[in-house]
Amino acid sequence: MATLATNSLDSWLSRATRHLSRDAAAQVRREIGEHYESARETAALTAATAEEADRIALVALGDAKVANCQYCRVMLTSAEAKLLRQGNWEARAVCSYGWGRWLVLGVAAAGLLGSAGLLIKGDGYLGSAMLAGVMSIGLFFAAKALPIYTPVRGRIFRGVRLALLLAIWVLAFAPHTLQWSWLMFACLWPLVLIEQRRGAIRRKLPIAQWPRHLYL
Amino acid sequence: MNLKGTLPILILEALVEEPDHGYRIAQRIKERSEGVLNFKEGTLYPALHKLENEGLVTSIDGVEKGRPRRYYSITEAGHAALAKERAEWRQLSRAVTMILGEA
Repeated sequence: MATLATNSLDSWLSRATRHLSRDAAAQVRREIGEHYESARETAALTAATAEEADRIALVALGDAKVANCQYCRVMLTSAEAKLLRQGNWEARAVCSYGWGRWLVLGVAAAGLLGSAGLLIKGDGYLGSAMLAGVMSIGLFFAAKALPIYTPVRGRIFRGVRLALLLAIWVLAFAPHTLQWSWLMFACLWPLVLIEQRRGAIRRKLPIAQWPRHLYL
Repeated sequence: MNLKGTLPILILEALVEEPDHGYRIAQRIKERSEGVLNFKEGTLYPALHKLENEGLVTSIDGVEKGRPRRYYSITEAGHAALAKERAEWRQLSRAVTMILGEA
């Protein structure tokens, strides 16, 4: 009988914890397990059999699918937990090596000088494309060096980054920007997906628990 | 009775007297409403986590009768949010009563 009740609860918990991260699922299992035990004890006082008490306790929990939807809105899913673990990989990949940082800075400085020279000479097309490249490098790798450690600064930074991204696109494809806009949408959707996940993590985690890369 | 959207304020109200664990919070809401507000208990914890994320409640681990428990308590911000929600609810209730009339 106890096995039957455990199976029913396990089945409910499996459905309620779908897509949740390992830590979140463990927490749900613990808190619902405690709750179920208390509900079963109370139900046992009035129920005719232990099976009936198990059934009452399980019914009181409600639909596992509804609970799962609500849990996914407030707790980290496995995809979000993975993103949180990975962090700002693009910046870390370069900045964790001293030579990588200097290489990027060197390339950016050379690109900036090169684009300025080309623009002065009158080669607007190549100059603006090179400037777009330099801005791209700055956009992805300079964030770690900036003093962004409050939600407001983070929001400003993300707004500026979006504006810069659009400016890079315009610079790179001018004067045929609109014609190539399909390529921009095709390239940007993974970034949009990641940003959407980061937004969900920001909503779910208290600010005190935000790692540095979540501000960016 | 459907209490969609009102569960957070009911949880905060249930925690005003003393910190408590999820099961007793659920029972307290049901008892105080004399069984009228009967919600599915599986939805209580997502609401508690949301309140915790918003800083309106805090939680600590404890033990009751040898069983591990998570105790929730209302914060200062929670008290302020509850006072605001209570005032809004009274205003809404008065307005609906004015339209529907006293029973």
